Amino acid sequence: MSEVEVLKPLKTWSHLAKNRRKPSEYEIVSANLLYNTRDPNAPYELDPDMSMNRWYKKYRDGGPFQHDDWNAFRDPDELVYRTYNMVQDGQETYVFGLFDQFNEREHDKALEPTWGGTLARLYTPGRYLFHTLQMASAYVQQMSPASTITNCAAFQAADSLRWMSHAAYRAKELSLTFPDKGFGTGERTYWENDPAWQGFRELMEKVLIAWDWGEAFVALNLVAKPAVEEAVLRKLGQSARHNGDTLLGMLTDAQLLDADRHRRWATALVKMALGKAGNAEAIKGWITKWEPLADKAIDAFCAALSDVPNAAADAKAATRAFRRTLGF
Amino acid sequence: MATLGRLDWYDIARTTNWTPKYVQEDELFPPEMSGSMGLPLSAWETYDEPYKQTYPEYVKVQREKDAGAYSVKAALERSKMFENADPGWLSVMKAHYGAIARAEYSASTAEARMVRFGKAPGMRNMATLGMMDEIRHGQIQLYFPHEHCSKDRQFDWAHKAYDTNEWGAIAARHMFDDMMTTRSAVGVALMLTFAFETGFTNMQFLGLAADAAEAGDWTFSNLISSIQTDESRHAQIGGPLVSLLVANGKKAEAQKMVDIAIWRAWKLFSVLTGPIMDYYTPLEHRKQSFKEFMQEWIVTQFERALIDLGLDKPWYWDQFMAEIDTQHHGMHLGVWFWRPTVWWNPAAGVTPEEREWLEEKYPGWNATWGKCWDVITDNLLAGKRELSYPETLPVVCNMCQLPINTTPGPAWKVRDHALDYKGRTYHFCSDGCQWCFEQEPERYAGHLSLIDRFLAGMIQPMNLGGGLQYMGLAPGEIGDDAHNYAWVEKVRAVREKAKAA
Ligand SMILES: [Fe+2]
Ligand SMILES: [Fe+2]
Repeated sequence: MSEVEVLKPLKTWSHLAKNRRKPSEYEIVSANLLYNTRDPNAPYELDPDMSMNRWYKKYRDGGPFQHDDWNAFRDPDELVYRTYNMVQDGQETYVFGLFDQFNEREHDKALEPTWGGTLARLYTPGRYLFHTLQMASAYVQQMSPASTITNCAAFQAADSLRWMSHAAYRAKELSLTFPDKGFGTGERTYWENDPAWQGFRELMEKVLIAWDWGEAFVALNLVAKPAVEEAVLRKLGQSARHNGDTLLGMLTDAQLLDADRHRRWATALVKMALGKAGNAEAIKGWITKWEPLADKAIDAFCAALSDVPNAAADAKAATRAFRRTLGF
Repeated sequence: MATLGRLDWYDIARTTNWTPKYVQEDELFPPEMSGSMGLPLSAWETYDEPYKQTYPEYVKVQREKDAGAYSVKAALERSKMFENADPGWLSVMKAHYGAIARAEYSASTAEARMVRFGKAPGMRNMATLGMMDEIRHGQIQLYFPHEHCSKDRQFDWAHKAYDTNEWGAIAARHMFDDMMTTRSAVGVALMLTFAFETGFTNMQFLGLAADAAEAGDWTFSNLISSIQTDESRHAQIGGPLVSLLVANGKKAEAQKMVDIAIWRAWKLFSVLTGPIMDYYTPLEHRKQSFKEFMQEWIVTQFERALIDLGLDKPWYWDQFMAEIDTQHHGMHLGVWFWRPTVWWNPAAGVTPEEREWLEEKYPGWNATWGKCWDVITDNLLAGKRELSYPETLPVVCNMCQLPINTTPGPAWKVRDHALDYKGRTYHFCSDGCQWCFEQEPERYAGHLSLIDRFLAGMIQPMNLGGGLQYMGLAPGEIGDDAHNYAWVEKVRAVREKAKAA
């Protein structure tokens, strides 16, 4: 072994040492963490044909969304677990501060009973919708081909749990002021039967079974989430302000900060993917496939927001404006 | 207070099951991904997680935990712990980080499986927090060892191990992929959270934290106890599921998955945690023996948890009890002998005082394992170090992927557990490993162990050098004796003193 080179300690992980610059905390703890991409024949260290290996080979590796180096992806926010909690603890302190102050001022008691009914029908059933975002994001998390993508999807799932939790909290609180509106008990019925929700319900049930990871990402992050955010957060928030519900308007504004971050990573991922031939066509195809369902969902929901002029048209235009920034 | 208490709204936040209309229930929750065993959604809605936490509580508590762990690290950065630590202790850290950090990260994928495919709403929420926890454990256990990269090339393996075909990495991937990443939501909940995290991570994280505190490594001790506080929350995802399955007539199915997971976890711990606790940790810092930790955490506490939830002790319990006395000694001997094939420097741990301790903790050690160490020690005393190195690779088991070994001496009973399945012969180390294979051969049959690859000519040249290259190990990172054989001189001194007397 005398001729053999003896490896010397490096300043960082060997996989980052080639970069010749000091890696950030983000890179040290986020890059190249998945080991299920090392062997294309067997993502997991078992029989190459066992069912989960087939699932990954078919739905992650076998689809049209391809890149030679997914590990090159970087989250533009460079969030790590530690900083995610710092950011979101601050955000939750703000939101719970709002809940506290508005409760102190008896905000809910000042609302019109008809608006109370609207909230029971159009806001608190949203916890089912937000929960579908949580589930769908967790699917993108487990199917992404690089840990830097996986992390963004995981944080997005946690943020969706956050939105869902706000809706649950408000359902309980509103039930104290409006005991006859079905808060905390009637949401499922609205979600399953009210025409305002059926578009989003259909959209999300179908997005949840889009198994190809590229399609799951595009359908969720480029089509479904923007539709939810523009209609159920932004337009409902506007309607709330028209009805003296300052709290809901401020709450949806706070949630839209999360949504903006989700769009930033989705944008960065699409930009990177467009560097590879074939991806543009794949993304375009998926957008064409999913957009009509999302439009239908926006139409159905916004039809119930009678006091927001042009709600549906504005919301649809906003989703398209986002996709235009990506070149679609 | 003008805000609601957590329990006022907690139940609403876990009332999220609905009846799908635009797709079928089995499309939304494919049985292979959910593992739902045909139970209706209404049965899943009785699931009640005992450890309840909300999103705002989570981000607050976790932020505080990280602030604690990172500030202890920062405060002790200049403490020269690394420079002053016993080399055996550095080996503990290297083995731990390399085997654990990226497996924890991978566990976030398994938790995400429960978030997406679990049919119990409470499970989906708790698993969302669990998914976040495992990202924490992956990231923090990469961040902490990273500072040592510039001092010691073996610390590169905290990140690198899982990218290689090093035999321990193959064994770890095989085990973790079997119990977490390739399982359905129900499988993950039973095997990862209930069997592994309720039972075994206590061992690795609390047991090792105790040793680390004894060794004065406060950064590590504090880190892994902080991790364990997360584990003890999300480990409770599995318990209520066991009760739910037992109540719905699915006890046998639950029992089988739990039994597989415990057996598989045991084997990995016998090679990772056993040697760390009983041989690498400096004698004066050993809080308890590996066997005592096993008895406390697995036998007493975990066995009770099994029974309380309506399951039985696994069928192999007697065999398992016998193995906690013996198996890890053989694993340690193998790891030390094949030391060029690992990314840390195994500490032999067999000075006269250490042997005395081993004999006290494991009566009969000197007459069995001690005999093998006598041969090695004699060779080293005689200056024939080359005889203490391997020339080829050990035979490994087709389930646990670990060297097949048993207690040497008069009771020597290596029995090859061979099984023919669809024209191929598989070799197992034990009844337990063979039984795991037989439960679902299609999960494992097409996998090639390191030895299968060797025999198939996939490792060239067909010698130890070729093996090391295949495993991604080069000089500068391959293992050797942790104390550079200084312990041999201690043996010499004692023997000479005895001769003189
Ligand atoms: Fe963990
Ligand atoms: Fe085995």
